[in-house]
Amino acid sequence: MRTDDLEALLDVLELRDGMRVSFHHHLRNGDAVMNEVLAALRRRGLKDLHLYASALFPVHTEAAACIEEGTIRHVTTNYVNGPVAEEIARGKLRGEFTMQTHGGRARAVLQGENAIDVAFLATPAVDAEGNGSGIYGAAACGSLGYAVEDHACAKRSVLITDSLEDFPVPGQLSASHTDHVLRLPSIGDPGGIVSGTLEVTRDPLGLKIARMATEVIRHSGLLRNGVSFQSGAGGISLAITEQFNDMLAATGTQASFFSGGIAAPHVKALERNLVEKLYDVQCFDEEAIGSLQRNTGHIPISAGDYADPTNASRVIKDLDIVILGASEVDTGFNVNVTTDSYGNLIGGSGGHSDTAEDSKLAIIVAPLFRGRTPLIQERLFTKTTSGEHIDCLVSERGIAVHPANDKLAGRLKAAGLPVVDIETLMQSAHAYTGRPKPITRGDAIGIVEGRRGDVQDTLYRKAG
Amino acid sequence: MARSYLFVPGNVPRMLQHAEVFEADALIFDLEDAVSLEEKDEARQLVRSFLQTHPPSQPAYVRVNADALARDFSILDGLPIHGVVLPKASIQTLASLREQLDGEEWSVLALVETPSAFLELSDLARDPGVDGLILGGVDLRAALHAHPTESGIELLYARSRLLMAARAYGIEAIDTPYAESDDAGFETDLKRSVALGFDAKCAIHPNQVPPLNAAFTPSQERIREARRIVERHEQTGEVRFSLDGRMVDRPVLEEAKQLLERAKRYKALKKEADDAD
Amino acid sequence: MKETVTTGSLESSDCLIRLEPSEQLEIDLETDVHEAFYEHIHTLISDTLEEMGVQSVYVRCKDQGALDFTIRARLIAAIERYRELHDG
Repeated sequence: MRTDDLEALLDVLELRDGMRVSFHHHLRNGDAVMNEVLAALRRRGLKDLHLYASALFPVHTEAAACIEEGTIRHVTTNYVNGPVAEEIARGKLRGEFTMQTHGGRARAVLQGENAIDVAFLATPAVDAEGNGSGIYGAAACGSLGYAVEDHACAKRSVLITDSLEDFPVPGQLSASHTDHVLRLPSIGDPGGIVSGTLEVTRDPLGLKIARMATEVIRHSGLLRNGVSFQSGAGGISLAITEQFNDMLAATGTQASFFSGGIAAPHVKALERNLVEKLYDVQCFDEEAIGSLQRNTGHIPISAGDYADPTNASRVIKDLDIVILGASEVDTGFNVNVTTDSYGNLIGGSGGHSDTAEDSKLAIIVAPLFRGRTPLIQERLFTKTTSGEHIDCLVSERGIAVHPANDKLAGRLKAAGLPVVDIETLMQSAHAYTGRPKPITRGDAIGIVEGRRGDVQDTLYRKAG
Repeated sequence: MARSYLFVPGNVPRMLQHAEVFEADALIFDLEDAVSLEEKDEARQLVRSFLQTHPPSQPAYVRVNADALARDFSILDGLPIHGVVLPKASIQTLASLREQLDGEEWSVLALVETPSAFLELSDLARDPGVDGLILGGVDLRAALHAHPTESGIELLYARSRLLMAARAYGIEAIDTPYAESDDAGFETDLKRSVALGFDAKCAIHPNQVPPLNAAFTPSQERIREARRIVERHEQTGEVRFSLDGRMVDRPVLEEAKQLLERAKRYKALKKEADDAD
Repeated sequence: MKETVTTGSLESSDCLIRLEPSEQLEIDLETDVHEAFYEHIHTLISDTLEEMGVQSVYVRCKDQGALDFTIRARLIAAIERYRELHDG
């Protein structure tokens, strides 16, 4: 069916209590679709739904209201902050809370382990046949990587758009999987969807860490023709990407691909011919969206092709270097990006665990202490990514290399880089912050799932 | 000797606690212009508490207030510092400083930033307590009614005059920091400092430090050339010879030796094996 | 109002200290690192007060993740201002 009437659409979807409904997060904090759909489901008196969203942001207030009222019973997501995070941290969720990885979610959907009843997919442009693309339309967001498997596997797939195009839209969402198209006046606020330009950090501490990480790459033995690289949209990551580009240019090295979330510095590398391909699961800024339209070497990919661990041709199995963040790290190099040290839900794995495991060199970049809270803790509040997949931690006061990678440690030491063991790094932070009192946890509120569906850790509430 | 002197505002805890990591050869903890009048007492306690608890690994200086020397020195007692920076340096302020130093063996860097200081520059540079001269370009410009220009012409005389005095008495010549935030202007200004012959330059932002250190470190090409000159001299004992068509005599030889010394100090000397890469 | 003194700020890594006259020693501490460092900071404040010979005062400390050296410096500066105001 093709309609402008949400209620009429919901009538034909035969919705029942307890269904699993999915959403993607490509419209990020500008998303209007999830709020509008969930509000309608709540008005209909539906109960005990399973909210299956690839990520949840501060804009998603209606999801919090649905949790409060019991419209939503279970939540599964890869990343969460804002009101839903607060609601869950207060223990308001009646059912189960599961945090997956980007690759793990795609695997669970494709294998039918997480069967989706209805996928409500915000789609910036849809054509008459029901093909969907993120590149065109008023709310263009670029790649729709996190929508592709939901669209293909859900029992019912609804494309929700504000731009019905007359011309055929070649896109990631093929009409053969589209059951319904819903047109709304607006699917989102472009201002919240992508940033105009993401700021490369000017923060001297961040730049210092970026310079050190770039030196680690230079001396890692991986800087050669065909090198592949991934970095996120954080200020330090973007600074490293720019420095990495300059290093490729200065050494006459041609990279094979950059993968993951794509932003202006990645596009610059492609257009300077420093890298052959961008494998783009998500666009972070307008530069990336524009590049998708004009550059044939810029290729949108699905979450499954990006990171599904059971997909033998997934892009990141060939990934050399990944730059990752951390809210906490323990002395076994296990990493937390899900909560802070005090148990506040602040994010989640996203592709963190996926890329850490598949890459040859996983580099964590983070300052040794933020405010008074040290990065390296004796015990993590939450373990998101297993330390065995992390190769080194780069901080402003030294580089700690995982003991399993003593070859890397040798190379970095020979290059004169400040390699110290992670205990020493923790002590040097304690000299400033003091040793924190062990944090007591409250009740269990959910689980962190590994990319193969294994239980990585239990999520706890803050105590008291 | 240092290439970079990083100013750290005395009343900002966030800046103090990270100052050490920005690779500056020396740090100047500022009690003067970076601190408002109402916050002087807080800044004194903060700098004291910081230096007592976390003495940085590089030489630390404190820029004191010329008009409040006694109060500033009351908190410096017993601190692990290398020296003080004396703003508005003159024969008179230097005498007051000496009173406060009271035999303390701290190094003094004189901040030359008034026209009258230039009239007494030889006496300042000759003073056995003074280890270096810093040009204070912003204040001097204002006093001269001059404006910042891209070519730096308005400070050329001051820079050259300060260098003459420093070289004549064998003390350090440290150039004024670049006060604007544009990277291109900073690069131009930095190249000028190096070309004129300064030993070092002040930085007012941590991000200025890495390019500044690089600019004041002899390049590998110049190191190779200096090495060949010195090696030839050591092998043959000659002080006048021709190398690749260039005449080498004693001043050139001396310059080469100095350059190698600086390169060694700043860890720019690579092993021969690395050179082959 | 005239009887109180304030030092520090609410910038990150700083703390705001306010001293007011009081019959006894009272410490009112609010910190963004409560779980890990509340007792530690409380002890630091009371030790510094004792060291400075302060027997009765109301101390309000709003901490934004300041390190020990900062909390101590802000408190000492506040005590000196307080003494100047009341004894000077």
